[in-house]
Amino acid sequence: MPPRSLLDVDDLRNDELVSVLDRAVAFRDNLPPRDLLAGVPVLNLFFEASTRTATSFTLAEQRVGADVITFAPGASSLGKGETIADTALTLRGIGVRVIVVRHPESGFARRLADVFDGHVVNAGDGTHAHPTQALLDLMTLRQEFRRFDGLRVAIVGDILHSRVARSNIVGMRALGIDVTLVGPATLLPDDFAAPGVRVERDLDAVLARVDAVMMLRIQRERIEYGLLPSLEDYTQRYQLNRARLRSLRGDAVILHPGPYNRGVELTDDVLDDPRSRYVAQVHNGVFVRMAVLDLLVNGAAVPA
Amino acid sequence: MKTLIRGGRLVDPVHGIDAQRDVLIENGFVSRIGENIDAADARVVDASGAIVAPGFIDMHVHLREPGQTHKETIATGTAASVAGGFTAVACMPNTEPALDSAAIVSEVVRRADAAGLARVYPVGAITKGRAGKELAPYHLLADAGCVAFSDDGSTPRDARVLRNAARYASDLPCTFISHCEDPDLKGAAVMNEGPASMRLGLDGAPGLAEDVIVARDLLIAADSGKAWHIAHVSTATSLDLIRWARTRGVRVTCEVTPHHLVFVDDRFDDYRADSKVNPPLRSAHDRDALRAAVLDGTVDAFATDHAPHGLDEKAQLLSLAPVGFSGLETALGAYALALPQLPLARFVELLSVNPARILGVPGGTLGVGSPGDVTVFADRAWTVDARLFRSKGKNTPFDGMTLPRRSLATVVEGAVVFEHGRVLPREEVTA
Repeated sequence: MPPRSLLDVDDLRNDELVSVLDRAVAFRDNLPPRDLLAGVPVLNLFFEASTRTATSFTLAEQRVGADVITFAPGASSLGKGETIADTALTLRGIGVRVIVVRHPESGFARRLADVFDGHVVNAGDGTHAHPTQALLDLMTLRQEFRRFDGLRVAIVGDILHSRVARSNIVGMRALGIDVTLVGPATLLPDDFAAPGVRVERDLDAVLARVDAVMMLRIQRERIEYGLLPSLEDYTQRYQLNRARLRSLRGDAVILHPGPYNRGVELTDDVLDDPRSRYVAQVHNGVFVRMAVLDLLVNGAAVPA
Repeated sequence: MKTLIRGGRLVDPVHGIDAQRDVLIENGFVSRIGENIDAADARVVDASGAIVAPGFIDMHVHLREPGQTHKETIATGTAASVAGGFTAVACMPNTEPALDSAAIVSEVVRRADAAGLARVYPVGAITKGRAGKELAPYHLLADAGCVAFSDDGSTPRDARVLRNAARYASDLPCTFISHCEDPDLKGAAVMNEGPASMRLGLDGAPGLAEDVIVARDLLIAADSGKAWHIAHVSTATSLDLIRWARTRGVRVTCEVTPHHLVFVDDRFDDYRADSKVNPPLRSAHDRDALRAAVLDGTVDAFATDHAPHGLDEKAQLLSLAPVGFSGLETALGAYALALPQLPLARFVELLSVNPARILGVPGGTLGVGSPGDVTVFADRAWTVDARLFRSKGKNTPFDGMTLPRRSLATVVEGAVVFEHGRVLPREEVTA
């Protein structure tokens, strides 16, 4: 039985996760007929602005033939608990079977899934989880290395505020990837250390020994909130730039969940570097999302 | 009017009694303690197989009146009190408006009298509107009935204001009660900071947010000489600071809540607010330190921080839901669950003797001439069903749990106000 909803990567068993990736690869190689979700009403409910994820989901939904509805309410218009339940009931009554939801508060997707009689796909909840992003990152890594077990991946930057990092940590650990988190203590508290997850402060000490490095976006608000002194101080320690690219192995790859800030967490050299996989990531995203929708709605019946 | 509590095991640490004794109350006061008292005309409470103690005092509750009567009223809150085994409660001043004027305090006292259940001791605000800026009128508040002062629910940011408050009120016996959470270190936290908050992507308050204010307030207590009480201690470091202050002669007491003794910060995986409380449920290390501090005598009092809210309010998203939950009707069972090895005499000290002493209110013992306030309880397992609470707040992390101890009867001023699972308004008793 596949999960009813995808709230984080660990809603999938390892074999289900691998089959989602297999299916995504199959879809990428040969687009399936547009009838996998024919007539299934899918609601994109985005309480928070999104360009890439919303576009990617919409295209994925259209490619599997779903009836796509898009609604972007203000973040505050659906805050109260009773309203979540009432809204879930209403949407189900209308006929919505799948809700793809993004919300600025951690746990919103879970709270919605607990009261919605249908499928929920978490497209990002606060700083908690972004499972389809982690799946597309894993798809990109597998495409590169043909394996997960024993891979070494560094995730660099604002781990504390990153739902991408959290979902990747969950997924990578499940698949036996060795994870190193890198950042200053204000953005990467020691409490993140866990079996298979190391916390490091020195990017230069890490770069030479990893198979992949994932650079997270740094937001200026972190300075105003007193978590960083300045972007200059941060970039001196944690920016991936031309000099640091030299320490990165030739067969390593660079990932970025986007949107990136040129000149902050990375420089133009990085985006131009042949090891950068940003375009492959966003390309894979559509197929991963098609595969997720197919798995949740149709189950594991379709062979990869 | 005579009331006879017959056949129970009397535990009265002040008199060093732990034996089967009957307690006779006449005209509101204890008139006899003895074996096999015969009083034909007395209302009899059968306490056989149960424990009889001086009335329990919960020195930290929120009755929500005035201003938030959809959450609780003085009538429903005191019904919950007597049902939970409490003959008296101290109500915190974070009402709307705050308990910062004699008129409002007098009205609380009047309504508590009208409810006729538990005794209610108002705690006055330290600053006007609990805003942390201007001093409240301590002498007027004390005259109106306040037994202590606190800005509970928040922490005065300005140490100068708190220092002046303590010095100005230093001639009054009323203790200052500190709610210790640094608002800046706490930020928008909804739970404890630790591995769980990191994993869940939730804002966490570090234990440090409590510790730094405990340290500050202990030093202000030392500076002013004022008696000080630290509310709902939740961290191991706070306990160490309190122990240190005592070596320096600071007059400090402290309380712990049932929820901090039972639960830790592993209750947020469903992102529901049922366990959202200030200070937050902490780590197992802190929880174990609290238990040890009860056993070693560092902790003076048990207090529930009974904080009722509407179910719809608590059902909101974690960031929006209010803090706290009902505590009065589960307290005795929760304390026994956390500390099954705690001697009964110490249990009674924490719930009656010490709260009476800290607040300077009658009770805490059952000698001849003592107030006729009695709690009868037993070690009988029961399962919590929050829907049956007398409190309007039907929210508790203990819902559905089996607790090993419960109240059986509650007597206030000689009137049986709770027995056989029923709350009995006093007019019904005396009619």
